[in-house]
Amino acid sequence: LALDEASRMSDPASRIATVKSAQKFFSEDKDRGFEAKMMDESVRLLTLQQQLETEAGENTTFFGLSVNETIRACILNGMIKKADKIKADFKVPDKRFWHIKLYALTEIRDFEGLDGF
Amino acid sequence: MSTEDQTKPQDNDPPLDINLLKEIARKSLIDALNSVNGAKTLVLDPTIAGPLGLVTEVSLLKHHGVDKMFWLEPGPLTSSTTNIVYLCRPMIKYVKIIADHIKRHAKESSKHNYTLFLVPRLSSLVSKLLEEEGVLGDVTISAYNLQFIPIAEDVVSLECESAFKEIWVDGDETIVYDSAQALISLQRLFGLFPRILAKGDHAARLVKLLTTYLPQARTSSAPDTLSEISDEFDSLIVIDRRVDMITPLLTQLTYEGLVDELIGIKNCHVELPASLVTPPSGPAPSTSNAPPPPPPPPTSVANLRKESKKKYHLTDQLFMDLRDLNFSSVGKRLNQIARRLDEDYKTSLQAKTIPQLRDFVGKLGGLQSEHQALRLHTGLSELLIPMTRTEQFNKSLEIQQNLLASYNVPEQVAAIEDLISTGTDMQIIVRLLCLASLTAGGIKIKALENIKREILQAYGYNLLPLLLSLASPSLAVLLPNPLPPSTPQAVQALKYPFPSLSKSLRLLIDDSPEALEEVENDISFVYSGYAPISIRLVQCVAQKGGVLSNPAEKEKSQLSNGSDRGKFQAHPIVGWKGFEDILATIPGETLDIVQRGAEGATSSIRNLTRPREKSTTTVVFFLGGCTYTEIAALRWVGRQNRVGRRFLIATTGIITGTSLVDSIAGTRKTTQGDAGI
Repeated sequence: LALDEASRMSDPASRIATVKSAQKFFSEDKDRGFEAKMMDESVRLLTLQQQLETEAGENTTFFGLSVNETIRACILNGMIKKADKIKADFKVPDKRFWHIKLYALTEIRDFEGLDGF
Repeated sequence: MSTEDQTKPQDNDPPLDINLLKEIARKSLIDALNSVNGAKTLVLDPTIAGPLGLVTEVSLLKHHGVDKMFWLEPGPLTSSTTNIVYLCRPMIKYVKIIADHIKRHAKESSKHNYTLFLVPRLSSLVSKLLEEEGVLGDVTISAYNLQFIPIAEDVVSLECESAFKEIWVDGDETIVYDSAQALISLQRLFGLFPRILAKGDHAARLVKLLTTYLPQARTSSAPDTLSEISDEFDSLIVIDRRVDMITPLLTQLTYEGLVDELIGIKNCHVELPASLVTPPSGPAPSTSNAPPPPPPPPTSVANLRKESKKKYHLTDQLFMDLRDLNFSSVGKRLNQIARRLDEDYKTSLQAKTIPQLRDFVGKLGGLQSEHQALRLHTGLSELLIPMTRTEQFNKSLEIQQNLLASYNVPEQVAAIEDLISTGTDMQIIVRLLCLASLTAGGIKIKALENIKREILQAYGYNLLPLLLSLASPSLAVLLPNPLPPSTPQAVQALKYPFPSLSKSLRLLIDDSPEALEEVENDISFVYSGYAPISIRLVQCVAQKGGVLSNPAEKEKSQLSNGSDRGKFQAHPIVGWKGFEDILATIPGETLDIVQRGAEGATSSIRNLTRPREKSTTTVVFFLGGCTYTEIAALRWVGRQNRVGRRFLIATTGIITGTSLVDSIAGTRKTTQGDAGI
């Protein structure tokens, strides 16, 4: 499976490429619609993470994180807007999103942010 | 083979001497080492070191010329001795490393003699690989046949952790073959199994292998017991893990099981904070104190210390007492023992006469080591309690129980979703999800897709292969309901009839107050009210009464009749008789074979029908691993039979639901370690 390969790759560009090829494989099989969709999301996430990384600067890594972790990393780095955007893009349910946000805000001791709930 | 298998069981006979197996493993290791002359450097495959530690000690290895030991790892290997001995499982990556070592040495033009021992046997693939690397000529290859290792007095294991994944995910059946070989050596020691019962496709394949290889094995070594029906064994029951996927997915609730679930037992060792294991300064370090970790090379020992963890070998007497109890009653038992110890100490104060005093001093050593053990286990349970009090633990337990009772399944699925949103460990989620799919015969397709999406988002898209292999036809533990029309026939056949099974095998016992006592008297105590299917199946064969009604009730009624036959007389093994219908509803082949000795049918029939004054042993082999809780339940069944039957549990390895999920998820898990926030 191309996906196995993808998880081992460190180079962002080639990783996106392999996930894309996995997505193509899945989409060829009509029973695998779900998987294809998921891979599509995965590609979107990876590209987004690349973009975030360039924005956030050197010392933060986004690439390869899960959606949850990405949201958390965004909040930790004070990119609340970005986090909200991810929530909308990936249709993250409210419950999960608030849970992540709550914990992340507590971690950086952003009590003003917590107050805003 | 040896004189020890001549010992005839008496009325109060000791259990089958499985230490014999250990001796054999040790002896063949020594033979293997001695076949290489002079001092040597031993290079170990890390997955073998643990099992090896169970059969031998570092000192023994040193004694046989082992100079230094290293892990088999990529990178340069420096060795001061000319002989280098590799001990590893036949896996491609290991062979690659070895070839790399040899090439490096060749470049540095240092001369070494290489010997490669493959566990448990040779593989032509390895020599082919070495040939490709161009180093085959430099290596002597032979096999070190490590088979069943006793890990308790009634449990033997192949200690092959990835067995389940290899069979059902990778479709690799090497382990089936290895198991067959191991079972044949068992028969070589103790005689043929008069009867073999099997449930499950792979179990059936294993049995077929057993019976086809037997003639070969028989001719290869002339004077052995393979042609005789065993006196000690009355049957072999092979159950493959696919037959009962539900049990390992549940959280284990016995003491040993819980320790395994929450802390992790590896090759009989558990890693504990050092403060628990080392006695506070003062009282003499007793014998129950941790025997230092077995052969791992010095580097790893240092690492362990750094983490302020110590491996503790769970062998003390107290642990024997506690391990099979439901965790809820462990506290009570510990308390009892503490009180008794206290009493014992007090008697010392009352000791007046010199003989009394001497007597007490004699006992003191024993008391102290008992004290030590008590302290350890109290500490250990204190460690466990907070873990069992977390909301996640209880929530997942609640979902499990509801799912088993098939109570409001959609709501349980929603509850699983809630757990995801609170960042519960991925393994727990996957376990619960599979459980839901198994008990309910699939999850509604929309809910399933939704939850899969949640999992992938929360824990990473790299888990998709895990989800795929869980749904793949060979495993089929995560299925939509109703199945899409395109599903292959095989998957449909694998659908698990849980609701009907739970009725016919009496899997669930109400936890209403009046039934509470009943729970304590049935194997379902191990899961607080659920009886593992695998063990019920064994009961179908070995203790028919126990499946249909409750033995304890019978006991009571018999007691009131003034009869003292409180416990079951073990009946002879008559196969699956009486339970054919139930078995037919469980997916997988069912087999029942009578093995005949060389002298023909008469002996086997005599064997099956002879009266049972003698106690016999039934071997239960779990293909694909079993849990500590299942072992506990089997021990319980064994105790119910006052006369006659004892169980020897054989398995490819000890598993938990978490280790199952991890092994299927593969290495991806390590990168995913702290996914839960």
